[in-house]
Amino acid sequence: MSVRELTTLTCYHCGDACAEDHRVHDDKDFCCHGCEVVYDLLNESGLCDYYALEAKPGVKQRSSVDEQRTELFDLLEVRDRIVEFSEAGITRVRFHVPQMHCSSCIWLLENLHRIEPAILRSRVSFTQKEVAITFREERFPLAQLVKLMRRIGYGPQLTAAKEQVHKGVPHMVYIRLGVAGFIFGNTMMFSFPEYLGSNTEAGLRTGFQWLTVLFSLPVVFFLSTEFFRSAWAGIRSRTVNIDQPIALGIVALWTRSLWEVITGIGPGYFDSLAGLLFFLLIGRWYQAYTYRALRFDRALEDFLPLVVIRRTAEGEVAAKVSDLVPGDRIIIRDQELVPVDAVLRDGVGHIDNSFITGEPLTTRKEVGGTIKAGGRQRGAVIELEVLRSFADSRLKKLWAEQASLQDRPTMPRLIDQVARRFTIAVLLIALGAALYWWGKDSAQVWPVVTAVLIVACPCALALSMPFAYGHTIRLMGKKGLFLRDAEVVERMAHVDTVVFDKTGTLTAREAHEVVWMGASLSTEEKSMVRSLARNSTHPLSAVLYSELKEPLLSVLDVDDHAGEGVFGLVNGVAVRLGAASFSGGVEQPRANGAAHVHLAIGGVWRGYFMVRKRARTGIAQAVARLRTRLRVALLTGDAQVDAELTDAFHGTQVRTGCSPLDKTQAIVQEQQAGHRVLMVGDGLNDAGALAQSDVGITVTETTAALTPASDAILDAQAVLLLPTFLLQARRARRIVLASLAISLCYNLVGVSFAVSGHLTPLFAAVLMPLSSVSVVAFVTVAVTLAARSKH
Amino acid sequence: MSVIFLLIAASTVVAGVFLAAFIHAVRHGQYDDDRSPAVRMLHDPAPPSNENTVDR
Repeated sequence: MSVRELTTLTCYHCGDACAEDHRVHDDKDFCCHGCEVVYDLLNESGLCDYYALEAKPGVKQRSSVDEQRTELFDLLEVRDRIVEFSEAGITRVRFHVPQMHCSSCIWLLENLHRIEPAILRSRVSFTQKEVAITFREERFPLAQLVKLMRRIGYGPQLTAAKEQVHKGVPHMVYIRLGVAGFIFGNTMMFSFPEYLGSNTEAGLRTGFQWLTVLFSLPVVFFLSTEFFRSAWAGIRSRTVNIDQPIALGIVALWTRSLWEVITGIGPGYFDSLAGLLFFLLIGRWYQAYTYRALRFDRALEDFLPLVVIRRTAEGEVAAKVSDLVPGDRIIIRDQELVPVDAVLRDGVGHIDNSFITGEPLTTRKEVGGTIKAGGRQRGAVIELEVLRSFADSRLKKLWAEQASLQDRPTMPRLIDQVARRFTIAVLLIALGAALYWWGKDSAQVWPVVTAVLIVACPCALALSMPFAYGHTIRLMGKKGLFLRDAEVVERMAHVDTVVFDKTGTLTAREAHEVVWMGASLSTEEKSMVRSLARNSTHPLSAVLYSELKEPLLSVLDVDDHAGEGVFGLVNGVAVRLGAASFSGGVEQPRANGAAHVHLAIGGVWRGYFMVRKRARTGIAQAVARLRTRLRVALLTGDAQVDAELTDAFHGTQVRTGCSPLDKTQAIVQEQQAGHRVLMVGDGLNDAGALAQSDVGITVTETTAALTPASDAILDAQAVLLLPTFLLQARRARRIVLASLAISLCYNLVGVSFAVSGHLTPLFAAVLMPLSSVSVVAFVTVAVTLAARSKH
Repeated sequence: MSVIFLLIAASTVVAGVFLAAFIHAVRHGQYDDDRSPAVRMLHDPAPPSNENTVDR
C-alpha cells in the first residue's frame, strides 16, 4: 500500500474521499473496489465520456452487487408494473432510478446499448427520474438487465405500493394555458379598432365585436371551469375562498360584455376577460410546475422488500412478504431489511436499526435473539424464523399509530383570511354603489355594479401567493430543503418552537469521535490497531478502522471472540482489542453513552479508545442562531446527551429516554401551550411526532433514502441551514403581505373609477395585465433578493 | 375594407393551426421533461462501430 497523502485524494468515479480502501488503477484514484469495477466496465465499452461530461459523476457502490437478489423481477406482479410492452422477444420496461442526478447520468443511461448489445434503446426522463429501456429479452433476461444497472450504480428502485408518481405537470394545464394565450392575443387584435378610436367603419366594428363574443365562449366554458368548480365547492362548504370573487368577476365581465355587444352600446371587455384568464392560468401552471417532481406520501410497504427468500423442503424459493406466516424460515443477506418480526436461527446478526431509531451503530444478535421488522442486516447471511406475519408486526403497528394521529391544529391560510374580507368588502362596495346610483340615475345601477365586480377581481391577489411561495420552494430546494407544498412555507413562517431529535438528526449517521485515553501511541502502533480492527466485524472496530488513517499492516492468526474482542499477530506482536477484561485493562467509568475499546500490545494494557457519536460540525452555532429568535428543545430516545449538545441546548427543554409516543406527547403539550412547533427528525420513531407537529421535517442522508411521511425533506448536509430556511419563510410571508397591499391598491384605483362610472374598456384592458405583471415581478425580485441577503 | 375579413379569417386559421400543433405537442409529452432533451443534444453521437447493433 502506497503511503501517499490520502486525505486530499478523491475518487475518480464517485468523488468521495479515498480514505479507507484507496486504490490506484489506470493512473486514477478510486475509493473502493466497487468504483474501480464500474470504471473498468465503462472503460471496456468505450464509455469514458461519462467522466468527461461532469467531474466524478458516479454513484458509490454500497455493497457487492452479486450478493443482491433479482428473483424479485421474475415475479409476475412485479413484471406487470414495470413492463410497458413485450412482443416477439422484445420488451420495453420503465424503471424508476432515483440515483440519476447529472448530465453524465443521462448520457450513460442512454448509452447502455454500448455495454450490452441486447439492449436496443434507452431513453431517460430526467424530471420523473425514469428510464425506459427496450431490449431483447430472449437473449438478455430482465434479471440480467437489473443486475447490469446495479453494477453501474443505477439499480432501479421498486416499491410495493401502487406507483403514484406525479407525471410532471398535467397536460391539461398546458393546453388551457395555450388556448388562453391564443384567445388573449386574438381578442386584443380584434379590439384594436376600439383602442384606436372611432374612425373605423361601423360594419367592421360590429363584425369584430361578434368575433370576440365567439372567442369568449371557450374562455368561459372551458378555461374558467376550475375556478367555478372551486368557488362552488366553497359555497357548498360555506367557506369563502379566493376563487369566489374571481368567478364572480368572470361572470360579471362576460355578461356585461355580452349585454353591451347585443344592445350595441359598446365593445365590452372581452379582451380583459381573456387577459384575466391567461394570467390566472399562468399562476396555476407555475404552481403545478413547482411541485411536479415531489412525491411525499408513502406507505410502509414502500420501504420494505417485496420478496424474501424462504427456505422450504424443496430448497430456497422467492416468497412475497405478505404471504409469510409464523414458522416460515427466511434468508436475509447483507444489507437487506428484515421485513417481519423474527427469531434468529442461524448466523450472527449485526442489525442496524437506523430506519426505526436513527441509531447507526449495529447491535449484535445471537441465535435465538429476536429481530424486529425494519432492522437491516450488515454482515453475513442469516436465517430467521418468522414470528409474526407482516400485518401483525410491531413496525406495521407503529406506522398505523402514526397514521391515526391526524388531529393536528389547522392554521387558517393567509389567502383565505384575505379572501374572506376581500369578498365581503367587494359585495358591500357594489351594494353601496347600487344604492347610490339607484337614487340618482337608475339606468346606471347595472353598469356600475358590474364594473365594480370586474375591477375588483383579485387576479393579482391570486397570483402573488403561488409565485412568492413557489419561488421560495424552488430556492430552498436548491439548498437542500424540499417542501411538500406552498402551505408549508406559510406554516414555517409561524413557527416559534423548534424541536430536534438527536440521533441521526443532530449527530451524523457515520461520524464518530474517537479519543485515545492513555500514553500516546506511535504511528506503527496505530497502524497495528487499524490493521487488527479491519479483521473484526464488530461495529466499533469498523469505527476505529475508518477513523484511524495510518497505513495497514499484515495480520496473522486473527481470532475474533464474539462479544469480547479480537486478537491477532501484527508484525509478529500480539495485539488484543476489545472489552477491558479481554485486554487485561480496568473497567473505566463511562460518560455520556460512550463506548470503550481497550488495547493491549504484547500482553501489556496500553489504554483505551473512547468512541462516541459526534454532533454535526457547526450544529452548536446553528442552534445558537435559532435560539436568538425561537424556542428550541431536544427529544431523544437515548439515555444521555453528549456534552457538546448539552452546551448547545443549555437552559432549554431536553428530554431523554423518549419513546415514539413520548415524543408525540411532548409536541402535543407544546401545542396546547399555544406554540407552533417545527419538528426535525429522521427515523420512523419520530414519525408520530413529525405528523403531529405544525411542520415536520425529515432529515435524510441520501435523497433516495427511505423516510417517514412529513411536510418536508431536508438533506443532511443542509441541517445547519435551518435558521436560514426559517428566515426565508418569514420573509416570503412578508413579501406576500406586501404584494397583497400592492394589488389592493390597484383594486382601489379600479373601484374608484368603476363607482364613479368611468370604467372604459381600454382602461380595464390596461389595468388588468399591469397589476398582474407588476405584482408577479415584484414578488419574484423580492424573493430572490431576500434569499441572497443573509440577515 | 371588407377584404380585411378575409385576412382575419386567414390569420385566425393560421393561428389555429399553431394552437393545434401546440396541443398535439403537449399531448405527445413534449413538455413532460424539460431537462434531458437539453442535455441530450450536447452529447456526442456514439462511434458508428457500436451503433449498428441498434437497427439489426
